[in-house]
Amino acid sequence: MLLFIPTLIGLTVIVFTLLHIGGTTKLLAMYLSPRLTGAARAHVIAELDAKFHLNQPVYVQYFYWLIQILEGNWGITNTPLYSGPVTQAIAIFFPNTLILTIFAAIIIWLVSIPLGVHTAVNRDKPSDNAIRVASLTFYAMPWYLIGVVLIIIFAVYFRILPIAGTVNPSLVVGLSWYHNGISYPTHILLIDALLHGDFKVAWNAFLHLIMPSVTLSLGVMAALIRLMRGTMLETMDQDFVNFARAKGVPEKVVINLHAKNNALLPVVTNFGYLVAGLLGGVVVIEDVFSYPGIGMWLTSAMLNNDMGGIMGGTLLFGLILVTTSLFLDILYAKIDPRIRY
Amino acid sequence: MMENRKHDSSPIVKIENLHLHYYTRRGIYKALNGVNLEIRRGEVLGVAGESGCGKSTLGRAIMGIIPRNAAIVEGKILVDGVDYLKPLREYFKKAKKFKPTKNQDLLKKVNEEMSKIRGQKISMVFQEPMTTLNPLLTVGYQISEVLFYHNPGLLASRRLARARATKEDTKNIVKILKEEGEGERLRQYLKNRNIMGLEDQIISIWRRKELHDLKKEQMILELCCEPISSMARGYLEQIEKTNSLPKFSKLPIVGRIVKRELLKEAFKKSAEFLGLLGIPDPDKVVYMYPHELSGGQRQRIVITTAMINNPNLVILDEPTSALDVTIQAQILELVKELKEKINSTYMFISHDLSVLSEVSDRIAIMYAGQVVEVGPKSAIFNSPKHPYTQMLMEAIPTIEAHELKGIKGEVPDMRNPPKGCMFYPRCPYAMPICKEKRPPLFKVGEDHYVACYLYGGEKK
Amino acid sequence: MSAQKTAKEDKHRELKLSMEVFFSNKSAVAGLVIFLFYFFDAIILQFFPQVMPFKHPYSLTPNYVNPIPLPPSKKFPFGTTYPGVNLLTAIIKSIRLDFWLSLAVVVPGAFLGVIIGIVATYFGGLVDEVLMRITDIVFSIPYLVLAIAIGYVLGRTLDSMMIALILVWWPLYARYARSVTLEVKEITFIEAARAAGSSKMKIMFRHILPNSLPPVFVQMSLDLGTIMLTISALAFIGFLPAANLPELGYLTSLGYNYVETAPWAMIIPGMFIVLFALAVNLMGDGFRDVIDPRRRSAL
Repeated sequence: MLLFIPTLIGLTVIVFTLLHIGGTTKLLAMYLSPRLTGAARAHVIAELDAKFHLNQPVYVQYFYWLIQILEGNWGITNTPLYSGPVTQAIAIFFPNTLILTIFAAIIIWLVSIPLGVHTAVNRDKPSDNAIRVASLTFYAMPWYLIGVVLIIIFAVYFRILPIAGTVNPSLVVGLSWYHNGISYPTHILLIDALLHGDFKVAWNAFLHLIMPSVTLSLGVMAALIRLMRGTMLETMDQDFVNFARAKGVPEKVVINLHAKNNALLPVVTNFGYLVAGLLGGVVVIEDVFSYPGIGMWLTSAMLNNDMGGIMGGTLLFGLILVTTSLFLDILYAKIDPRIRY
Repeated sequence: MMENRKHDSSPIVKIENLHLHYYTRRGIYKALNGVNLEIRRGEVLGVAGESGCGKSTLGRAIMGIIPRNAAIVEGKILVDGVDYLKPLREYFKKAKKFKPTKNQDLLKKVNEEMSKIRGQKISMVFQEPMTTLNPLLTVGYQISEVLFYHNPGLLASRRLARARATKEDTKNIVKILKEEGEGERLRQYLKNRNIMGLEDQIISIWRRKELHDLKKEQMILELCCEPISSMARGYLEQIEKTNSLPKFSKLPIVGRIVKRELLKEAFKKSAEFLGLLGIPDPDKVVYMYPHELSGGQRQRIVITTAMINNPNLVILDEPTSALDVTIQAQILELVKELKEKINSTYMFISHDLSVLSEVSDRIAIMYAGQVVEVGPKSAIFNSPKHPYTQMLMEAIPTIEAHELKGIKGEVPDMRNPPKGCMFYPRCPYAMPICKEKRPPLFKVGEDHYVACYLYGGEKK
Repeated sequence: MSAQKTAKEDKHRELKLSMEVFFSNKSAVAGLVIFLFYFFDAIILQFFPQVMPFKHPYSLTPNYVNPIPLPPSKKFPFGTTYPGVNLLTAIIKSIRLDFWLSLAVVVPGAFLGVIIGIVATYFGGLVDEVLMRITDIVFSIPYLVLAIAIGYVLGRTLDSMMIALILVWWPLYARYARSVTLEVKEITFIEAARAAGSSKMKIMFRHILPNSLPPVFVQMSLDLGTIMLTISALAFIGFLPAANLPELGYLTSLGYNYVETAPWAMIIPGMFIVLFALAVNLMGDGFRDVIDPRRRSAL
């Protein structure tokens, strides 16, 4: 847990270094609205120079930059998707990404742990082989291809699920709580619609969430099934599992209580990597499904050489991952009595 | 039940010509090659041999805890007359090519069958106390499991007895205890009042040595008037009568209450048992996790778990080998004590003959997956017959100065064991016939058998 | 003398067993065969491009006369994609680029990571702590995102993609090499080498390194697939602005706009990415069975 702070500092150092390699012009680009011209522009540049102490040594600049970041001054983003302060963009896009990843994480957890246990218990049986082949195939598939295959099957061929976006635009025309593609108050359409009691919109928003979240879960799920199967097989060879059998505990309890819980420990430690995988997948999948979240914003920032979007997105993803791993450490200590903080 | 056991003269376990082979990519590892052995009721049978001679495999085979690549090629193990491994043997006979997955399916069925007697009639103590306990569960729960799955009736009756007993009852009980101790009158009283479940609770308090009599009285007086919710009560009474668990998944809320009551009771019983074994602070220990205990304490917990249901047979697989010498002595002491207290049968597996000499009645010597000599302890130690046993005896260090002799040569490669006697390549008395045929067990003395052509058969 | 001979025999027997273990795993053999196809494709196009009937072996040949994707036919066995690119030849060309690109990321990444991992374990203490903290920090950003950020700073070209991925990948190997060498370090023969008075450098490179290499090789073979997936994902979201590059991810992105009318334009190049990733994974699993003593003898 003590590692939390140095990792955060390291993260900001990396982002700052990236900014710095690009030179001061790039740093300025992050805080300079492109609409400014002439004297006003020169004036703002001089102001920023003073604010970030750009004539001072690099490490001094870092601290002034860090202060700005801590004060919530993350710069300006200027992409077709959104123009304005980075923090504002995050406030709009992040909730969408959050609900997408939460949906995906729930699917992953609900499916892969039981499947991992099942394959380990039925090692080398047809079902094990089938699940192994399927999960390996998904593992070997690029995210966007999974998405496209799902689109072809469910949106183009069967026409039961929508292709893109968060909602059918015709449904939200004239709603009092929805302007310019942003819903209020939580910015998560599904939840806002439920709050306002508009179940038709909520159902439609839910349908729009299915394909992106399933796509997101499939790739990570494969890795988790493999991991769970491996740790489960290892645990089932352990003495305490045999001892539980020797005690005459029913096989179901041996598997689900004694073996599974111990096999979950390494899975929890590795879950941080899986979350990292999820967040990486978000970038591609939001692009495929035109789903307005952080990932889509990041891609559009990349395509438009928008410093604010890229650095803001990088910092945000870093922060999320660091906090998740902190949370996982705490969780680990909760389930493993051998670790106490 | 105890009287019954003494009269029954048939062996509790009878192993006939058991062949067990492990199938691996490196070849077929022939772990057991025709083991003949019986374990008699009430005895302590010591099993000795070098590492890799198959003694642990034998113990696990009796319990039915074998990996999926273990094939039962021939022979059987009769536990109380039942041949649990039969499906595995029949599969091996039928199968053209041994498949671990198929074997695993059958093993699952064997497991299911045997889980009814494991922990109840037969139980086992493993070698390594550090890995035998589940690190994520409290030791109390791990002991309780055995009670919960095999003896729920006892737990229910203990709990119900505390609900049924009145203040009057406990006062009378204290009076009886003071006058006559824990005798027949106490039993009669409990029986009349339908609170038999109190018996072992009272006794465990009464026998505690570290408490003052007044404190004990007070504790016994508290064993009453503990109300149970009326919903759970019916189920507990049913469990008491049938001694089997209801399907908890079908009783969503009541099931939880009943389960919790039973487990709580099992924790109590576990703590009592630990107290009887002289473990300090048993009420605290049951809520501890294995990592909070030392190796010796953990092994005591493991032994407790194995013993708490008064099993007919306990297999102790090198229970002291992983421990320090002083702790070893304590554990041996514990085993001896248990032997006195609980009329059970023990199979004590060890590579250390000096350990076996302390606890066993009979000793079987194993070599390369076979029993080469078996007989009463005195016969084995005083007049060992098999050349291998003789060499083993010379290899035991003693206090008197004598030359320690190692055994020359190596254990045969179990993928290609010798066709004849397994010990032939290392034997100083080898004869031509030893190379050709495996010797059967010859009788050489009172209850003393040895597998060696020096003592019988067609000598040439 | 005879001890030497038996040691040699043992080695021979172990090698034979290794082969047996690998070749008894049919899916691993299938993976190897597919991998070899990609490998030879890459070799031929890189070093003997004249063998193939391509005018421009290192770029796509668009046909703006008929840019709309055509379905598979005799002339175009895999069909065409926008703008009128023959998918069959485009895929053959793309495999070369993807293969070498993956290799160019894996080999330096692994090299860097293994050296750092070994240094960390060998010196231990503060050095270890600092190096592992650095890997932690790099891990705290999803690699796709970090690659985008680095790409922005260095300019979005093929070279910067490669550099970005190497920078993203080495910590993985550093961690992995560290865990493997920690095990190897415990093994007694290294103690023996130290007792015999070998220098630190010698112990590291003569004893620790060779013993930690096999698991690293397995990891490398698995990562070839992961990196190709990452490259294709980056190309798909538009990391490489320069068009006309024969790259499988880029090829799939060309077909994306026609996914409703011409699904093959995406599915077919996509399949070649999947096939490669699948092949190296199966192959890697096979190798892992060979080097893992427990799986090696289990049945």
